[in-house]
Amino acid sequence: MQKTDTMKETILVVDDSAMNREFLLDILEDKYKVIEAENGLQALEVLEEKGASISLVLLDIVMPEMDGFEVLVQMNQRGWMESIPVIMISSENAYDVIDKAYDLGVTDFINRPFDPNVVLHRVANTIMLYVKQRKLSDMVAEEIAKREKSNNLMISILSHIVEFRNGESGLHTLHIRIITEKLLRGLQKKSVISMSEEEISCISIASTLHDIGKLSISEEILNKPGKLTDEEFVIMKKHSSIGAEMLKGLKGEYNDPLLDRAYEISRWHHERYDGRGYPDGLAGDQIPISAQIVSIADVYDALTSERCYKKAFSHETAIEMIMAGKCGTFNPVLLECLQDISDELKYGI
Amino acid sequence: MTVQELYTELGGNYDDIMRRLRSERIARKFLLRFLEDKTFETLQQAVENGQQEEAFRAAHTLKGLSLNMGFPQLLDSSQKLTESVRTELTPEAASLLQTVAADYARTVEAIQALDAE
Repeated sequence: MQKTDTMKETILVVDDSAMNREFLLDILEDKYKVIEAENGLQALEVLEEKGASISLVLLDIVMPEMDGFEVLVQMNQRGWMESIPVIMISSENAYDVIDKAYDLGVTDFINRPFDPNVVLHRVANTIMLYVKQRKLSDMVAEEIAKREKSNNLMISILSHIVEFRNGESGLHTLHIRIITEKLLRGLQKKSVISMSEEEISCISIASTLHDIGKLSISEEILNKPGKLTDEEFVIMKKHSSIGAEMLKGLKGEYNDPLLDRAYEISRWHHERYDGRGYPDGLAGDQIPISAQIVSIADVYDALTSERCYKKAFSHETAIEMIMAGKCGTFNPVLLECLQDISDELKYGI
Repeated sequence: MTVQELYTELGGNYDDIMRRLRSERIARKFLLRFLEDKTFETLQQAVENGQQEEAFRAAHTLKGLSLNMGFPQLLDSSQKLTESVRTELTPEAASLLQTVAADYARTVEAIQALDAE
């Protein structure tokens, strides 16, 4: 079947000799769309412009401006070797040259004089291999996304159960998660922390489990409209260590940073920077940063939401109260971050 | 002269070249194309002007073309010249260039003597 031009895979032929390019063009043009480049620099320009729509590069070594090895170095640096295969063609047959080409990641090395059938087969095989690999990695990425989605769903269900029982609006854990992420990014911006996207996402997800221990507190106390008695408050305060115990029980079975972060957050999200919080009276940086962040997020959202025992405060009042230390002492850097994101909180959530 | 006679004259392997270039028509096309190619002129000038890098690239290209076209003598002389200018212009380069020039002239002459199709 005759392929139309748009169906053909595109091959970039890089050689400073026009005649050498013509040899290859003659072999390839029936089956492929061929783009030519006269030296390494031109080749990089074409790759920059066309990206992964180039299915294969046939690359000469000895060229003016930029040679084939430098092209490979540049392609590696820019991460293009992962998606665009390169076959080197050269009349250099010294082993160190061939080794160097393979070390730099070429898929194949073809010596001159080349046989057209060999060239065609190697080209077709290499392209097919990469097409399969691309399909496979797309499938894997899709599977991972699916799994992450269902993991997130399970965690949402769990935190929703806690909220539902607490008589909180369904939005509390969502708010905590959003504020936690914003504070993390604020700290990152100030270079106070240096976290990967994965770590940021892990702490944000773990933050939604901060009150999981409330499942073991009786509903009379949880939903009591008035002020708690001293006795009741002692019971209420147990939710942080109980939540941590619940999560600790899973640690033997699952070794996952999410569990570690959720444990820290659950146990220590009522600690205060001056050591006057509970349950352990940790102070300063003894309190994990994850828990410090969630504690401030928790306080802000509690203040700005209506609860069975109180009305909602405005954003401005809430920030004022936190800054004035009315809800305990927080890490000064975190307070700065809170002010930095103040507008986002006011209009964003 | 036919294409087959040309390869006998130049000491090349006609069957090999037919496999590589697939037909007499294509072989003829590239033989005539070789007459227009300026690699030899570039090489000659570069060696004479003492431009090592340019000389190496041109000698290397001529070697590659000789490989693909199946010119064993031109391959042999251009390969020697390539090595003699790879890292510096050695004293032998000038005399090796003379050999390349002679082989190139013989090749061009043979191609020019090809029968019209």
